Amino acid sequence: MSAIDRWTERLTREMARSTGRRSLLAKLGTLLAGGAAVPLLPVARGLAAGTPIHNQAGPDPELDGPEGDPTKCEYWRHCSIDGFLCSCCGGSQTACPPGTEMAPVSWIGTCRNPGDGKDYAIWYNDCCGRGMCGRCFCNRNEGDRPIYHPYRSNDVNWCSGASSQIYHCSTALIIGLAEEAQPEQ
Amino acid sequence: MLRLAIGLCLALATAAGAEEVEPDDVGRSLRLPQRTEHWVWLNEPLLKHAKLLDGDSGEVLGIVDALGSLTGRHPLPCRERDETYVLETFYSRGNRGQRRDFVTIYDSRSLEVIGEIEVPPRTADVGHGLALGAVLDGCRFLVINNQEPANSVTVVDLESRSVVEEITTAGCALVYPVGERRFGMLCGDGTALLVEIDGAGHRRRLTSSEPFFDVVEDPLTEKGVRNGEQWMFASFEGYLHIVDFSGERPRLADRWSLFTDAQREQSWRIGGLQHLAYHAPTKRLYSVVHQGGKGTHKDAGNEIWVYDAERRQRVQVIGPPPLLAAFLRRMSGIEPDSWTAWLMEAVIPNQGVHSVVVTPDEQPLLFVRHRENGSAGVFDARDGTFVRYLEEIGLGGGLMVVP
Repeated sequence: MSAIDRWTERLTREMARSTGRRSLLAKLGTLLAGGAAVPLLPVARGLAAGTPIHNQAGPDPELDGPEGDPTKCEYWRHCSIDGFLCSCCGGSQTACPPGTEMAPVSWIGTCRNPGDGKDYAIWYNDCCGRGMCGRCFCNRNEGDRPIYHPYRSNDVNWCSGASSQIYHCSTALIIGLAEEAQPEQ
Repeated sequence: MLRLAIGLCLALATAAGAEEVEPDDVGRSLRLPQRTEHWVWLNEPLLKHAKLLDGDSGEVLGIVDALGSLTGRHPLPCRERDETYVLETFYSRGNRGQRRDFVTIYDSRSLEVIGEIEVPPRTADVGHGLALGAVLDGCRFLVINNQEPANSVTVVDLESRSVVEEITTAGCALVYPVGERRFGMLCGDGTALLVEIDGAGHRRRLTSSEPFFDVVEDPLTEKGVRNGEQWMFASFEGYLHIVDFSGERPRLADRWSLFTDAQREQSWRIGGLQHLAYHAPTKRLYSVVHQGGKGTHKDAGNEIWVYDAERRQRVQVIGPPPLLAAFLRRMSGIEPDSWTAWLMEAVIPNQGVHSVVVTPDEQPLLFVRHRENGSAGVFDARDGTFVRYLEEIGLGGGLMVVP
């Protein structure tokens, strides 16, 4: 992981923590508005993960039932996911299945953790480079917005930022605490 | 012995009297019959193709491939050229290797591939599969929405079968045709964009509307329906926005509520995939609705509300058929008129529909579909009478296109 990647990731996390949803999206939108020639935020999250152990993440120990089970659609982080759950495909909620690549950019949701009652910004990075997993399909749309507002759209194939655009499954990574709840809350 | 002899004689006599079945020719492929207004294309994202069906008979007429996307991009038919276009993405090693995107050109009668146009490998891939490409009126130009994830469009000349230009449309996505050289887009700042190209397909002018919707609080769904040079979009909260692209600058021409205050209190909402359909000759608007909270804007609807769009009044409610029961019955090989089929329809919950489309003719059919199992049904759009199921379409998919 290069120094630029580390700096960019730290900057993005700080930005997500310290700004409201609207201003975060507005800034990301401004980046997008630069046009097709401008490269997108190069957050090398896939590389940052190193080589995780199989299903390292697992259920949330403090939550009973499906809200704490990352193989269930009801898992609290999945409030705005649209796709196959990587936890059912050989990966976890934070890492891709073996042989697939995590896309460096993704859409962002805000989900409330029933364990502590706090709202968290969630990054739904897609795993790419192999055909559709086909297990544990989940479509929840809390906070989802149309594709002209891409960073809140779960319909976009976010593998467009990876080396292969073939979609396999979706993860749900915590960016940090969100200052605002999503509009649906 | 006598019996055996008589039997042998009878058998020989019968064989001599019967006409032989003629041997078949080898190597024939059919062409499609004369097109009717009641045909419909249904995508199948798992099998990566689209099926053409006849709504009057329920029969499958033919299939085109649609490779390399989440939904299997739906066919883009052109009546003037008798051609059908499919946007496809290919990798040099199946699911890996170098990406190349093409417009695959089919003869609309034979469904033979008669050409292809390579386009920049940035064609948008989006789960709902709608408005990602469109043939402009007259079929001279095809416009493709790109997303990498930055937005642009590729203009393709269908006459010369070549790419003309890639136009940056920062912050704006989707393609809504409104003329021979004009199309609309929706933008992340709550505006609509009118893109005009010249006679050769090059960028002429991009003109934005005033902001007229809030993209966070009450965005417009991408699933609009066309009425001439206007497009109708419903917002998440159930307000129909009529966007007029006929002038130099796009504008919000009208806005009205699809729900009364009492209906809103009962939590009625719009939702689904292709949740709107419009029949211009009768000015009937069909809207898939359900009762639910915020964040359910993609849920299936258990009712289809029919509006007189001119009077802005609901005039009919259509209840979707039990598509899941029909899907499972067919997959189980159970006869439709059997007691088991009746029991399945009684016991298996009706999951509603995600999509509706209506044919443009004077005896219109209303097609309905559930995206998670791909099953579909047909209504008489005039009175809401259920006509038939479209069976064994595949295992998923919710898109429908009337060619």
